[in-house]
Amino acid sequence: MRSRLLIAIALLNLASLVHCMRVTDGIEVDVAYQPKATPAQIRTDMGYRVALERALIVLGKVELIRCDNFVADLRGLLAPARARAHVLDTPTSLGVPLIIDLMESAGTPEFAGTMKPPPGRYCGLRVLGMPADQDAEGLTDETLDMMQNSVLIAGQVEDESTGEETPLLARIWEVLDCEVRFDRPLVFDSPVLESVSIQIDHTSWFDGIDFALQDSNAVQQQITENVRSSLQAVLPLAEADL
Amino acid sequence: MAALVAPLWIAAEVSACGTCSVGDPTLTIVGFEQPKANRVRTSATLRHRNDSIGETEVDKLTLSEQRMELAGAYSPTDRVSLSLMMPVVHRLISEVNLAEASIWAPGDLDFRVRGVIWRDRKFAPRHLVSLIGGLEFPTSSIEYDANGVPLPLEFQAGTGSWDPIAGAAYTMFSDPWSVYVSSVAIFPTTGIADTRASNSFRQTALGQYQPWSFLGFQVGVEFRIDGPGYIGGVRDPNTGGHITYGTLGLVGLPHDKVVMHVTAALPLIQRLDGTHTEGFAFTAGLVYEI
Repeated sequence: MRSRLLIAIALLNLASLVHCMRVTDGIEVDVAYQPKATPAQIRTDMGYRVALERALIVLGKVELIRCDNFVADLRGLLAPARARAHVLDTPTSLGVPLIIDLMESAGTPEFAGTMKPPPGRYCGLRVLGMPADQDAEGLTDETLDMMQNSVLIAGQVEDESTGEETPLLARIWEVLDCEVRFDRPLVFDSPVLESVSIQIDHTSWFDGIDFALQDSNAVQQQITENVRSSLQAVLPLAEADL
Repeated sequence: MAALVAPLWIAAEVSACGTCSVGDPTLTIVGFEQPKANRVRTSATLRHRNDSIGETEVDKLTLSEQRMELAGAYSPTDRVSLSLMMPVVHRLISEVNLAEASIWAPGDLDFRVRGVIWRDRKFAPRHLVSLIGGLEFPTSSIEYDANGVPLPLEFQAGTGSWDPIAGAAYTMFSDPWSVYVSSVAIFPTTGIADTRASNSFRQTALGQYQPWSFLGFQVGVEFRIDGPGYIGGVRDPNTGGHITYGTLGLVGLPHDKVVMHVTAALPLIQRLDGTHTEGFAFTAGLVYEI
């Protein structure tokens, strides 16, 4: 009986030795932000030169939009967005806010994360600009004021015709709901690694503004609209075509 | 598989009637038996279950789990029974993005003490009331992702926490009928990945009819109510709620010292919180009376 007890105990011990794990990757979408390099001066379409001293944006959430649900998702876009502590990542969204200092960007992409969406057709991205929270990536002593702002711009504006210089300060605190469409649908029906980059063209943020005639509120409103329209989703094939 | 047939092999040279030693012919699986001084039993049990968490085409995660539980029970006296159970767990997790993870790993060691606090008579008692106490040990291995971060609990073979267990049971033996009713609560502490599994209360009511000495039929109900689980202090929305299973089973005596049992469990009422569905479960096992 003793030997059989020993066998039973040995079997119990054997159970603790079994260990192995095999992982098969599924559909994955790497997302990166790609701001344009910041020139020393930005020439606007209204004849001004903008020399930036600070330019920061906080992107709080990125979400894939299904083609099938595009109308429903657009309806969601129309609903007022609310700023809140960042939500956890989901298979179709990234929820960790990222502070991007556009003065330091030299056209290099900043990795935002990897989404793991279910099979389907995806036609675009919803990008949310919002004030940073405590967990935001890139939050430092120098960027603390981004906890109250979605976008912060400071610099000098020079009128090319008169040479007159005026200071520029824009603080956008509202949540910026931006929807960007792909130039072709992303179709996933089997495991694959895809990548999407979100280009930020902040050299267009001051277009359509007549700094000499418009008051600061109107300037800020136009910049807000320009920030929204400056985002573009680029797929690898489209990048190659360029 | 070797472990599953081991009780049969171990029993190959024996012939005495194991169930007779306790003065009652009822076929019982480990944990349900009458304590009898120096009674030793071992068992191997296979369990299969399905689980799905999350919304379809959004964040659904399906889980298929097979466990092999190797257990031993020893009764130092007529009133106390000690049991140890070590599971080996296989989990196949399918994520909504078609990713899959297959894990073989040891689970959490389960130790229980059952003490009979009242019985109607000393030999071959017909009514037993017992108290149950125990502890789950964090013996499961911890699975990590490529960055060295522990994976969520669904990818782990155990909770990796010290989980106290308390409960009570009533057993009635009235050949050819028997009834087993137990109430057990498990109180998990914080384990893998700063996760605290749900406090869980489990109620089992099982009736057995044994028209022949070698075969019995079981019908029962298993009810479970779970509290919320927490990940890093934040409530996991897909935890908590209650579920009731109906069970049907067979228990047989293929050899004088070997009890074989098969049970199918089907969820009858599911009121689990969040988006969480449990499926059909199946159990088969062998018990060897040393």
